[in-house]
Amino acid sequence: MLFTTLNFVLFLAVVLGLFYILPRSARRYLLLAASLFFYMAWNAKFVVLILGLITVDFFAALWIVHKEGHQRRMALLISLCANIGLLGYFKYINFLRDTFLHLPPLDIILPLGISFHTFQSISYVIDVYRGEQPAIRNYVDYALFVAFFPQLVAGPIVRAREFFANYFNWRPPTGEEWQGGFALILTGYVKKLIFADRFALVADRYYSNPAALPGWMPAWSGTIAFALQIFFDFSGYTDIAIGIAALFGFHFPENFRRPYLSASITEFWRRWHMTLSRWLRDYIYISLGGNRRGRARTYANLMATMLLGGLWHGANWNFVIWGGYHGAVLAIERAVWGREAKKGSVRIPLTVLTFGITCVGWVFFRAKTLSGALYVVSQMFSGESGSWLLGPVEINLALAALLVALAEEYWSVLTRLGSQAPLWVRTAATVAALLAIELFTASDRTIPFVYFQF
Amino acid sequence: MDSGEIDLNKIKEAIDALAPERRRELLAWMQTQKRPLWAAWRSRFRARTEWFRLLPGLTRAVAGTLVGLMGFACVEAAIFDSGWYSKYLEPDSTAGQVEYNLFWLRRTWPPKTPDVLVMGDSRIAEAFSARVAGESLNGKIHFMNFGMPGSTPRVWYYTLRDAEKDRNRFSAIVIPFNRYSDFDSGEDLPNRVTDLNFLAGRLRWSECGDFSRSYPEAEARRSVLTGCLIRGLALRADVRDFLSGIPERLRRTRNWRNNGERYVEGYDGKYEDLRGLSVDAATGKIHFPPGAQGWQIESASAALTPYTGRQSGALTAYRQKWIGGILDLYRNSATRIVFIQLPYAPLPMPDPAEPARFIDSVKWRSRLTALPGNLFLDLEKPELFADGMHLNRTGRQLFSERLAKAVAPIVEEK
Repeated sequence: MLFTTLNFVLFLAVVLGLFYILPRSARRYLLLAASLFFYMAWNAKFVVLILGLITVDFFAALWIVHKEGHQRRMALLISLCANIGLLGYFKYINFLRDTFLHLPPLDIILPLGISFHTFQSISYVIDVYRGEQPAIRNYVDYALFVAFFPQLVAGPIVRAREFFANYFNWRPPTGEEWQGGFALILTGYVKKLIFADRFALVADRYYSNPAALPGWMPAWSGTIAFALQIFFDFSGYTDIAIGIAALFGFHFPENFRRPYLSASITEFWRRWHMTLSRWLRDYIYISLGGNRRGRARTYANLMATMLLGGLWHGANWNFVIWGGYHGAVLAIERAVWGREAKKGSVRIPLTVLTFGITCVGWVFFRAKTLSGALYVVSQMFSGESGSWLLGPVEINLALAALLVALAEEYWSVLTRLGSQAPLWVRTAATVAALLAIELFTASDRTIPFVYFQF
Repeated sequence: MDSGEIDLNKIKEAIDALAPERRRELLAWMQTQKRPLWAAWRSRFRARTEWFRLLPGLTRAVAGTLVGLMGFACVEAAIFDSGWYSKYLEPDSTAGQVEYNLFWLRRTWPPKTPDVLVMGDSRIAEAFSARVAGESLNGKIHFMNFGMPGSTPRVWYYTLRDAEKDRNRFSAIVIPFNRYSDFDSGEDLPNRVTDLNFLAGRLRWSECGDFSRSYPEAEARRSVLTGCLIRGLALRADVRDFLSGIPERLRRTRNWRNNGERYVEGYDGKYEDLRGLSVDAATGKIHFPPGAQGWQIESASAALTPYTGRQSGALTAYRQKWIGGILDLYRNSATRIVFIQLPYAPLPMPDPAEPARFIDSVKWRSRLTALPGNLFLDLEKPELFADGMHLNRTGRQLFSERLAKAVAPIVEEK
């Protein structure tokens, strides 16, 4: 049940209606049932897997709290093994078989959202182990934290303390929160259906056979199209997820903050998939020692964290190289500039440069094979020109998005419009957005969100 | 000074004579009189919607969301359901064909001679010339060609439903059949979603449920229901094309409204033929004439390759629903319904084993005539077909004359 289908819109309307009709004590059961139904709409049999993981982590956390010393560590180990083991089996077994044993791939279906909900579960158990989060004593409460349908498939990766602080002190959304949530949902649909799917057409055209379109212009324009596609796609999904959560009275953390306005890769990772960056920082980078053990170790930690971050995206050498590339650029930036963000007019050329560096990384993310990615990179810096693939529609969309991003960055225009504008302005904006979605959806077929594959 | 004229000096004197308090009251009153109309409306609107601002925050926000959704529904309906956008549909589009045919029909006064409407898809559009048919009868009968490429009996039903309210304009309506036999030829007519595109300007909201239920497959039903309720989805491509060149579209639609009927009437048919086409009776291999083009080979192969799939009876049910529906529309009318079997392929094909169940079930009805199935059989010749389905220019001439002569006695029977 994709967010962009009519089925989902009807499902949401029914769940939302029931949520506010039912007595407060019954709402948690409704949300859990709806979340499991949402999961089962994709593949019913995998509900056993997610419920199994929830059960293991729920009891492991209780064990950690009630036991001491060796037994605590054992409980943590069991939980980590269950999560990483299942993630490894479903996501990495074929990669390992191919790389080290040269065996043919097994016919394995990747369970929906496994990368996201396992990371969320791991963070909970580690937080309990570290004493930063009390163990949850009600199974339904914990199951809802893992399986809550807006963020189940592709995040944002919510920390247990964020979710439960909100959950145990639940209050209905204020008028402004509701309006902001609804505006975010509409923004998400516009980003996905009008922007992302339009850029996807250009990116797919180039990446389906890069050799057919040699030269630096198609390589750059096809890659820029993919850079914009993945941003609008993933941030659109996140906006819908955060907006839906807001309608239910939950506050999810921000996941994207106009990343292509970043003036460095360090800043880019503070603005791109922020909940994953935070997770990698808190549970890998800091666990490895962070920047507390000298410069060389800091760079090595950055590199290791980003390599794992790349591998998290997919079992493929391309993702490893993508992660390694970002790790290397982060380390170089740290060595040259330190951690301070640049200010003033120097940001403009640096922003363009950062976007270019990011685009080179996206080649590895998008290309089907490593050799294909290397070919595209070689074309990006080749002497042959070729043809520019972005047409006037795509360029106008990109410019419009840039203007809106700048207006939001400096004046928070969209945020204010969404939550504080008078009724007639919001009504006009809603009508305009829905008409735009109705008439300018880029593709007649439903294009799944890019991050659903992870 | 006229008695009706105002003496400003006297007014000034009167104001000067007022006590300061009374003067202030007067000034306040005059300021209210100076307010523009919109400001007065705004005050009135604000006063009347005061209750909305007094609602609790969340209730007000939810109500605001619903207002936004209703606003969208109203704007959508005003554009697409009011018939406003139908005037600017691309003439060559599916919906455009239906709308312009109906526009021309409504615009023209019924002729003094009997009026015969020939319904159909591209086979009729290519095979039938209303002008040739009329001329062959020395203008004793007026013919109209409602052949719309890609249309189906479901589309014909809704088109005829809206063609005339009184059901007395036409002396006869001709309904063509590829074959009288209810032989399922592999074309999934009941689940044809593109029918919605033809009818985007015709369907009413209240009909969306019934219309979507006529699709047996759930996916098709869902898609059609969505497109029927949110009409812009069905017309999306047309709207985008419209917005990409508004002046050109306005010019084209104006020209088509004024002259399109003449353009259709002046069409003579395709020049190509399939002379030299043959099928090896022993092997079933099709031999195409040298120089045959891709579109001819493709359609002739499809037409001459016998369908061997399962016979489900779906075509009978489909015909009962939609052609039966047309018969019901004209049940109490003087209009004759005439069934014809079209020349099917450039070479004679064996008769399908399936019986003509639908026609057998309705032939008892009064004012219904099914012309003999072999009436146009001798037109199934390669030299009369432009491709595997459509008659060419010569075939069009022959077919039109023969149809006119076959229909004339039925019309004159009245």
